[in-house]
Amino acid sequence: MNLSLLIIIPLAAAIAVLLSRNGQQVKWISFLASLAQLGLSLFLLSAFMGERANGNVSQMLFEQRYSWFAPLNIEYYIGVDGISISMILLTAFVVLAGVLMSWNVEKMTKEFYFLLLLLSLGAYGFFISLDLFTLFFFLEIAVIPKYLLIGIWGSGNKEYSANKLALMLMGGSALVLVGIFAIYFMSGIHSFDMVKLSQVHIAIEVQKIFFPMLFVGFGVFTAIFPFHTWVPDGHSSAPTAGSMFLAGISMKLGGYGCLRVATYLMPEAAKEYAPIIIILASIAILYGAFATMMQKDLKYINAYSSVSHCGFVLLGIGMLTKTSIEGAVMQMVSHGLMTALFFAVIGMIYERTHTRKVEELGGLLKIMPFVCSVLFIVGLCSLGLPGFSGFVAEMTVFMGSWQNPEMFYRVATIAACMSIVVTAVYILRAVGKTAMGPITNEHFLQLKDAAWNERLAAIVLLLGIVAIGIAPFWLSDLVSPGAELIVNKIAGVIIY
Amino acid sequence: MNALLVLSIAGLAALFSGFSHNKKLAVIVSLLGLAVAFTVNVLDWNTAVRYYNDMIFVDNYAIAFTGVMALTMLLIVALFVDYKESVEVPNAEIFALLFFSLAGGVMLVSYSNLLMLFLGIEILSIPLYILAGSKRHTLTSNEAAIKYFLLGAFASAFLLFGIVLIYGVTASFHIETIAAYIKNANGQPPALLVAGMFMLIGGLGFKISAAPFHFWTPDVYQGSPTIVTTFMSTVVKTAGIAAFYRLFAYAFPAITAEWIPTISVLAALTMTVGNVTAVFQSSVKRMLAYSGIAHAGYLLIAFVSISSNPASSVLYYLIAYAVSTVCAFAVLMVIQHTTGSEEVDGFKGLSKRSPFLAFITTVAFISLAGIPPTAGFFAKFYLFSGAVKAGHLWLTIIAVLNSCIAIYYYFRVITAVYSEGTDSTPVELGTVQKAVMIITAVLAVALGLFPEMIISLL
Repeated sequence: MNLSLLIIIPLAAAIAVLLSRNGQQVKWISFLASLAQLGLSLFLLSAFMGERANGNVSQMLFEQRYSWFAPLNIEYYIGVDGISISMILLTAFVVLAGVLMSWNVEKMTKEFYFLLLLLSLGAYGFFISLDLFTLFFFLEIAVIPKYLLIGIWGSGNKEYSANKLALMLMGGSALVLVGIFAIYFMSGIHSFDMVKLSQVHIAIEVQKIFFPMLFVGFGVFTAIFPFHTWVPDGHSSAPTAGSMFLAGISMKLGGYGCLRVATYLMPEAAKEYAPIIIILASIAILYGAFATMMQKDLKYINAYSSVSHCGFVLLGIGMLTKTSIEGAVMQMVSHGLMTALFFAVIGMIYERTHTRKVEELGGLLKIMPFVCSVLFIVGLCSLGLPGFSGFVAEMTVFMGSWQNPEMFYRVATIAACMSIVVTAVYILRAVGKTAMGPITNEHFLQLKDAAWNERLAAIVLLLGIVAIGIAPFWLSDLVSPGAELIVNKIAGVIIY
Repeated sequence: MNALLVLSIAGLAALFSGFSHNKKLAVIVSLLGLAVAFTVNVLDWNTAVRYYNDMIFVDNYAIAFTGVMALTMLLIVALFVDYKESVEVPNAEIFALLFFSLAGGVMLVSYSNLLMLFLGIEILSIPLYILAGSKRHTLTSNEAAIKYFLLGAFASAFLLFGIVLIYGVTASFHIETIAAYIKNANGQPPALLVAGMFMLIGGLGFKISAAPFHFWTPDVYQGSPTIVTTFMSTVVKTAGIAAFYRLFAYAFPAITAEWIPTISVLAALTMTVGNVTAVFQSSVKRMLAYSGIAHAGYLLIAFVSISSNPASSVLYYLIAYAVSTVCAFAVLMVIQHTTGSEEVDGFKGLSKRSPFLAFITTVAFISLAGIPPTAGFFAKFYLFSGAVKAGHLWLTIIAVLNSCIAIYYYFRVITAVYSEGTDSTPVELGTVQKAVMIITAVLAVALGLFPEMIISLL
């Protein structure tokens, strides 16, 4: 299949949105485009599995390659493996839900949807790129819409948050840029081609300097401690769809980059720095969890818990076993779906009650059963109840981590496991207070339950969560060849 | 060379067209003159002829930069058609002065003799001193003119002194003879020659507003009529940088060790000062002045890594910068006319007043900030890749961090554009004005996606 369609459809839709006459057209164009993208992603999944079943074992499938800028060997080079496909699927689900959740945006509808589509374009492009330049190109494309979505449609201290987010993310991508240059010039082959680069050996001295740059650079996107501070501000100020995209897609750009670029191309340095990554990840997990306990605003709760959950992604990558990397990817997908849904529900509640403060909410279950049921489900998923994606992903990360026999890794794993208890505390407290108990405000009695678009958005995301939760094997089968490659590369160069 | 003649004649023609009662005549003459100059210039491609006892050497380098300057000025003159800010001098005289200044610019990019460098700088600058003061009854404009003139004269003196010192050592003004002399010196150039070279750096650094010679820039840019500021920040900057690069590429390539440390420091200082100061500006015009300083700093990186940053990367960068700057200034002129303010706040509510302008502003500032898919991004990418290749990693890191700072102030304008404003009257745009904006915005994106169009030239 033609992989470029994944970029062409959002691009065409974005242009169509700019040319359309009224808000209604804008919404339907975006909806149909994101539906088409979801269809295409599912088709891509089946085509990919079909190819694999037919015994096609080449590392990347559906490759396309055109020369873009010959003097620097820049190519428009795209292709997918299982890891990319799982990220593409995640993006498709979240974008569709995000578009549906924005149905009531009145202010500058056209621009809003244009930016949503642009952001999704950046994300799709990023996940299918196999050329470092193309990858960076799309990474940066995805930043501007985030800034504008928060800066224009946000709430609260939106300009501060938007600036903080843009500056930190741009700072991250600046580090990534330097790292990419280093790989290009110091790998000795003057190429941005990731597949080719993964087959050459980059000198260990170079790796030692530039691996941290790349890892931290991408890490900023996925809220690596101590560069996580944009997350709470950014999420709390963003409009609902903005938060969903930010947590569901944008933070995954970082995780994917850490894995695909930093760890994959510089495995020796990854091994070298693994303890530091693990320590930072464990801090993020525990600190995020404890910080969440102190939050009173639903959006802040989910934002800090995102820091904690994204810590599992980094932990999985840092542990460098096949299972743990698989777990990291699964956690990315799971957290993306789950947190997008969580933000969607918070958006639904906020739109009706005009408050996100947990203490001002109460008894909503009686008034809006659908919204609150979804809130319960997503809460349970977040605290890792079996049957949902969160459990599967975290379990895989822990199992993978435990495979490292040394004391240090065991301690880190146990510490990370402890966070689950804390998670349970804050989730149950927040969800319980919001949905159950007496109705705290008489106005709440007149509120309506979810509208069709909100129901559809929630169902789309729930489908993804449950699909992974009940049948995780298709996802882990999808991811494991990619993870195995990375682990083999490390095993090939470092002997225990 | 023919372009130089055409420009001089067109300048005179524009001057005399002022006698006509038809006010449009001057614009039409100027546009025609520029178009002819550009065509004539392009016809010289790949000929590499030396003129006047080798005073001027019209190689492809000269032709490329002359073409860029002519086209940029064409866009700026086209903006005059709908230009509303009161310029008290008649149009015809403004055009004539711009033409003469451009003629100086052409000499600057095609000289092969240091005397021509000096003459070029003077011919470039003197009309600008007048243009800067062309709002005669405005205090700031007068200040701009006198400040520019005094400091400019001071810098010229430096330049001349440097040339003389070099002549004293090498007994030649010719850049290739100087290069040959340096080569024969086997890496031990006489101290006087090095001193002369540093004087040249100072003098030229003033023209391209490199820190610490940049103090005139904000005041002059802010005081001058916006259309003149546009010219100064694009055409003049192109000429200055191209002249600077030509000097180092032709005359001093053999003693890189002498000047690379100095220029590295200049580059780091210039971009940091430019970017950090720009953050604190509330006037967009002044902010663009500082951003111009910052871009000069990035461009100096190309000098430092001259071994791996070919002239094409400077050319591409300057084109990307010129296109986005003209675009940004075109919007700023509209804002100035409709709100009477050049502050960031003046941009507030623009998205309501004209979605078209809001979109154009976004493209222009994103390109200035260096974010894909615009030309500004690729320009930086290409330039920085050359710097890393040449081993200037720390300079590249400073540069990318500076780009992050830049995002803050460029994005501030974009945020203002999309925020709520008090005024909601729709903005009327002239056809030509609109055309210039569309052309520059499209170029900013198209060049970003297909950089090879430009880079394969040189």
